[in-house]
Amino acid sequence: MGRAVSTLTIWWDTAADGPTNMAADECLAAEAERRDSLLMRFYEWSTTTISLGGFQKIEDARQVGEIRGIPLVRRPSGGGAIVHGSDLTYAAAVPKSHPWGASPQVFYDALHGAMVEALAAHGIDARPYPAAGAIPPPADGAAGSDARSAPDESQFFCFDRRAAGDLVMAGARDGTCSKVMGSAQRRLAGAVLQHGSLLLHSNTGVAGAARHLAVADLVADEQPPERVGLSRVWGQRIATALGGTAREEETSFLSVHHQDISALTARFRDERWTFRR
Amino acid sequence: MSADLKFAKTHEWVRSEANGVHTVGISSYAVEALTDLVFMQLPAVGKKFKAGESFGEIESVKAVSDLYAPISGEIVEVNTALPGKLETLGADPYGEGWVVRIKADNPAELDILLDRGAYESLVGSQPH
Repeated sequence: MGRAVSTLTIWWDTAADGPTNMAADECLAAEAERRDSLLMRFYEWSTTTISLGGFQKIEDARQVGEIRGIPLVRRPSGGGAIVHGSDLTYAAAVPKSHPWGASPQVFYDALHGAMVEALAAHGIDARPYPAAGAIPPPADGAAGSDARSAPDESQFFCFDRRAAGDLVMAGARDGTCSKVMGSAQRRLAGAVLQHGSLLLHSNTGVAGAARHLAVADLVADEQPPERVGLSRVWGQRIATALGGTAREEETSFLSVHHQDISALTARFRDERWTFRR
Repeated sequence: MSADLKFAKTHEWVRSEANGVHTVGISSYAVEALTDLVFMQLPAVGKKFKAGESFGEIESVKAVSDLYAPISGEIVEVNTALPGKLETLGADPYGEGWVVRIKADNPAELDILLDRGAYESLVGSQPH
């Protein structure tokens, strides 16, 4: 068995642009390997931003009129495009030697499972999307109303795709199943970076195909959880699953690692990276 | 899995061919762990890499993983059919699923790679 790390260190970051956030996420992975520890940061975006999956074609982004003019950044990870700005965005990194670093699904399920518990603590019923009969469908057969049973890479937006372990919710009014949380990984030589998004509120900065139902829409008359409070409970649930404790840093990751992040940001600002496909 | 293979800790395998050329692929353990492969990016023939450098990327439904050169050298051949037929990686990882062929700069680097037994111990000790 891989050695277990038992402390989750959490940073809270203020809003930054796309390239800075992607650089900070990569820096977090390097730091996780260096410290041999599970690290996590919660962050925001200085403006509505589209993050593209590492292999998505820029031409596909150009076909979506609703996102024209919005800043684009390409992630180091896979998956579909996300409109950031009204979501809860996180990055977590774990050494590859840790049990959670062994395979993509293990880390995915560990963090998403903890989010199911955090949402439940706020009275919200979200469930992991079924994996070929292994995971029971959401209550009231909600998953049955969703025709997709396999990942659909042809969908441009992350929240239009379904993969095992994605979190879905049934709408309070009509029971329609919607994806509210997805994540993606970059598996490096010594660490695994996973970042993702819980769609807390619909993004009013976009319309049409770019706007997806969010937790706030799906809970109907209930108040959606507040971002920081939910993140804090989530961190505690992750630490519990880890068999350890969560420790919050008082300074931001962006400020502590400013120099390293600045050096890495250039790549994510470079059009050769953004337009590489 | 044949006994003449060597392995990197990052799960690439190497088979020595004639004239200092070495075939490189991805172990069945790594392919299985990634699941649902959707895209692969391979290097151009003629590119040079040092051992440990990323020479390509592979995307599964949830993850992008780097492919690391197990030895230093020049890419002399690429399995160009592979990105269009990723299922080959799972079906025949040590045969038709080969990825690139590298002309080694320093064959002595092979000595620090793992033999089959050591690699099986490594992956056997990793959590599933």
